[in-house]
Amino acid sequence: MEEGEQDRNIRILHSGVFSPLRRWGAKWSLWPCHFVTSCCGVELAHAFACGFDGERLGTLNMGISRQANFIIVEGTITRKMARALRIVWEQMPDPKFVNVIGACGQRGGIFWNSYNITRPSEIVPVDFFVPGCPITPESLLRGVRAVQEKIEGKERTTIKFNKVELPSGGELEERTVPTTPKLFAPTPEIKLDVKRSVDWDFGKELKDLLRKGLKGLYESITITDVNRIAIRATQEKFMEVAQRLKDIMKMDHVKNVNVIEVPHERKYVMEYMVSSYSVDELMPVIISLFTEIGREAEPEFPSLTSLWESANYSEREMHDFFGIEYKGNKGMNGKFLLPPEVDTPLRKDFKIEEEQYVFDEEAPITTPIKLPPDLVMPVPEETLEAAEENDEMVACIGPHHPGSGHLRWIMRLKGDAIVEIIPDPGYVHRSMEKLAENRLYIQNVPLFERANISDPFNMNLGYVRTIENALKIEVPERAKYIRTIMAELSRIGAFFYDCGIYSLFMGHSTGFMYAWAIREMILEAVVRMTGSRCTPSFIIPGGIRRDISDYVLDMTDNFTSAVHKRLKKYEDIFIYNPVFVARTKGVGVLTREDAIRCGLVGPFLRASGIDYDIRKVAPYEAYDKFDWEVTTGDAGDCLGRFMGRYEETKQSLSILKQAVDVVKEMPRGAVISEEALGEYKEASRDIKGHLYHAYGNLVLPKGEWTTVTESARGTVLYSIISDGESNVPYRVRIITPCWMNLRGIIEASKGERVADFWAIYGSFGYFPPEADR
Amino acid sequence: MMELINTLISTMMSNQVSIPLAEPILELLRDIPLVGEMIALILWRPIFAALICPGLTVGGILLLFFPWIERKLCGRIQWRVGPHEIVWWLGGLIQILADTLRFLFQEVIVHKDAHKHYFLQFPFLSFIAFLLPLLFIPAGNIVAIESPYAIQIMLALICLFPVFILGLGWASNSRFSFIGTVREAFMYFAYEVSFIIAILAMIVLYGTSDMVSIVDKQSIWGIALNPIAALAFFIAAAMATSRLPFEIAEADQEVAAGPHVEYSGIAFGLIYVMCYEKAYVLSGLMTVLFLGGGSAPYIPVITDLLAPLLGDLWGAMWFVLKTIIVMTTLFVLRTIYPRYRLDQGLSIGWGAMLGLSVIALALSLALVAGGVIVI
Repeated sequence: MEEGEQDRNIRILHSGVFSPLRRWGAKWSLWPCHFVTSCCGVELAHAFACGFDGERLGTLNMGISRQANFIIVEGTITRKMARALRIVWEQMPDPKFVNVIGACGQRGGIFWNSYNITRPSEIVPVDFFVPGCPITPESLLRGVRAVQEKIEGKERTTIKFNKVELPSGGELEERTVPTTPKLFAPTPEIKLDVKRSVDWDFGKELKDLLRKGLKGLYESITITDVNRIAIRATQEKFMEVAQRLKDIMKMDHVKNVNVIEVPHERKYVMEYMVSSYSVDELMPVIISLFTEIGREAEPEFPSLTSLWESANYSEREMHDFFGIEYKGNKGMNGKFLLPPEVDTPLRKDFKIEEEQYVFDEEAPITTPIKLPPDLVMPVPEETLEAAEENDEMVACIGPHHPGSGHLRWIMRLKGDAIVEIIPDPGYVHRSMEKLAENRLYIQNVPLFERANISDPFNMNLGYVRTIENALKIEVPERAKYIRTIMAELSRIGAFFYDCGIYSLFMGHSTGFMYAWAIREMILEAVVRMTGSRCTPSFIIPGGIRRDISDYVLDMTDNFTSAVHKRLKKYEDIFIYNPVFVARTKGVGVLTREDAIRCGLVGPFLRASGIDYDIRKVAPYEAYDKFDWEVTTGDAGDCLGRFMGRYEETKQSLSILKQAVDVVKEMPRGAVISEEALGEYKEASRDIKGHLYHAYGNLVLPKGEWTTVTESARGTVLYSIISDGESNVPYRVRIITPCWMNLRGIIEASKGERVADFWAIYGSFGYFPPEADR
Repeated sequence: MMELINTLISTMMSNQVSIPLAEPILELLRDIPLVGEMIALILWRPIFAALICPGLTVGGILLLFFPWIERKLCGRIQWRVGPHEIVWWLGGLIQILADTLRFLFQEVIVHKDAHKHYFLQFPFLSFIAFLLPLLFIPAGNIVAIESPYAIQIMLALICLFPVFILGLGWASNSRFSFIGTVREAFMYFAYEVSFIIAILAMIVLYGTSDMVSIVDKQSIWGIALNPIAALAFFIAAAMATSRLPFEIAEADQEVAAGPHVEYSGIAFGLIYVMCYEKAYVLSGLMTVLFLGGGSAPYIPVITDLLAPLLGDLWGAMWFVLKTIIVMTTLFVLRTIYPRYRLDQGLSIGWGAMLGLSVIALALSLALVAGGVIVI
């Protein structure tokens, strides 16, 4: 921010002969420019959808910065996004106003010590801050009102904070939240192939098969858990083992590419997790193939992209994080997720600020960002050259574009056809994996939930299941059912989120409103269950925080039938709209082979004809107790992907109904497993007041713990590596479905028309904060 | 000199708009020197048509309130309220006034790649071009220029619209405006031909292209005589005004408002109302061609009471009412349909629409040749 910018626009309004007219006009015509920067955008959309209808105040969401006069900064501004924010602000005509919503925009919120966070108030002059993580639509509208009053000349603060001196000692000391000290093992022992005796007959068979197939190539084959096999190989033979796995075992996609740095042993552990979509028995099995390489200044490793294309983006990500050069991967020059100024942040010698529970007056926050003087978003040289050679046009879509979301697409266009699309993600990369290495296991629950606040329960559930799996905790039956209810609510909510966005991409605002009206009902149910609209953090290791009341169960039950009526209207206006069908049918086709090659996940994989749903393949919670079907299609086009999810939502409604019926009949009892609680057994019905006592010192057994969960948009994979001593994870790897589906969008768009890109993009339900993590 | 003025005044006086309701006040005002002449000038039919109805005043009021009607109506359809808080007891009626003031006092940015002069001239120039066709539209029996070639001249002027939009896009010199401009050009050719043929069908049917006599001849409305032509005309109007599902050139989510992407301040304000203006002209034409112009249906009591009181305004009122209904229908399309792709839009224009309009022409010819309609 430059000198004298603060309140300059207010001053403009208060000068000149026509100043009363100017003020009145500006006050009632605050058009927010559609600049989605992070997950608070979900709540912003709720504020302008039919539930709250921000247009009542005259604030009409306008996509184009030149015609808007109001930026609502939605939460996190990463270093990469900071430049875009400044560009958008500069593009807007005076007088213009800025609201910052969400905790991230003020002091970084839950991500305050991330290496990629900046403060928007250092970049543009901010008129008003709205607190909350995420904010609620009401508070956003209150923020708009506050700017209106500021324009009129009234100063307004929302809440006055008074400082109080707390008496020390005594009873109060006991009641404050205990802050468990973090224990970092000085020389942690990292071992990915810890042998465990498990009851898994097929595993023994598989192990023999692998032994035979990989004769002389591997160092060891270990069964680490049910459905998990770890293969250790030498660096020289790594490629060959991978080739054999692909050929003999029909391992056709990579689920995860991981690097673990062990500084005191001067090594990197390079890990690939592969699995199979082609063989039914192998679907739940994840084979982890790893090797160790020396920790040199510029480490190199052969890329497996030639074998499995699905590894491509994850390898590039690891290149950003650890500086490892994957030989053979074409994306090794330049950064993919990270801004240019951050180097190898995931290495252990890259330290971030230590956690503080009480902020000082001048609490340090990450180093302030310096904006480059030219304010240009660079496009890779080779793209420009190639376009020049072939007489093509290069268009950059985003990050500020009405149809881009929070990432940038660089399009090479030949006439009306797309030659190539290059993604430029990382605008919402909040560095969850690094943050997780510095927090207690239980503190990471809310962190990972914020990867995707349109589908919070599944994100939450995935992480918690990994911990439960490691500690072998059996969840009480009632909690299992309630978790299923929540996961399904979340899945339905995420579908309607994507429906709304898809409608907008198709230029259909009514579809957006109808879908979000249904979403509003879901959030209402979630609020009554948990107390929070989007970020409840309700699922905890061993169960759920507290039992839910019968009244909420009744409400959920009513919801399942009420939604059908509205769904019918939504069907009429959008789904069966002839224009929509014409736009999506036969567009962006991904065949079965393509889908496997790109490593697609979730409903988008099923739309291409692969019957893979983790809820059926490796059932968790109570999914095996209900009567439901996996929906698959074989068209593989945009309409197929959309309709597949639509049918799935109907199945989800049916699961929801069945689950609610069961829970209603069930006797009330413990909802948290008593073995997880240890000595705090009395908290098994409600964890209130005991959360940190019971979970503060959670330590996972040594080894790698991997869990896959079916979230709304596909498989979410958590892989926690624990040294068995520290009460913080040594490394957490999270692969979100959108990150895997990114490759699919690129493939499907090739050769289609320009306008088809939005049909394809929308059909994948891409949620950038989830992909960037 | 005096003779000339006297002739002029007598011409004016012989062709005055008669409003019996306002006659007592007018009578008083006429006696005042200068004011009397002014009133005679304003009430002179051609001037009245150009300045008041259907020209500047009614056009301006519609531009000021139609966006509000659209936003409210869309809000209702979308289960919400729309603009409301600004004057809550009027339902946010003056919302557009606030928007206009805001645009008026906002900075106009001319970015460095733009062709400065054209960039600033085109929004203003196009505004004038959109107003000209209004001179030929009769509101009841008030019309500015009565000509046997009225429709042809109007068509020529309407076909100028896209030229200005192309100019806007070209002067903006940005990628999205470039793509949007090319899309606009493609769409222009796609709807143009069938648009003209649909109008031709009606000219054949009525046997004249004089707008006033077209209205007179519609003892049965044109839409009943040749519904196919009406349909073709309506779709072409939706394409010409860039309404969904044919909002292809200005697709917000794809090319970020296309030709308008770089405009700010009052320059954008003018462009923003331009599409409403276009819609007004085309809806007016549709009213005249298919909905009987200013001819009023007979409603017992109301007609007997109001028609003699309002005089010439009675017809004008019906014209405006019908125009508003057509405009509303055009704008409500937005809440019902998503957007077509460019090639689909083109194939509709060159395929189905062209077919429809040719069938409409054939139908007209058959009706005339078969003697069903006697002109």
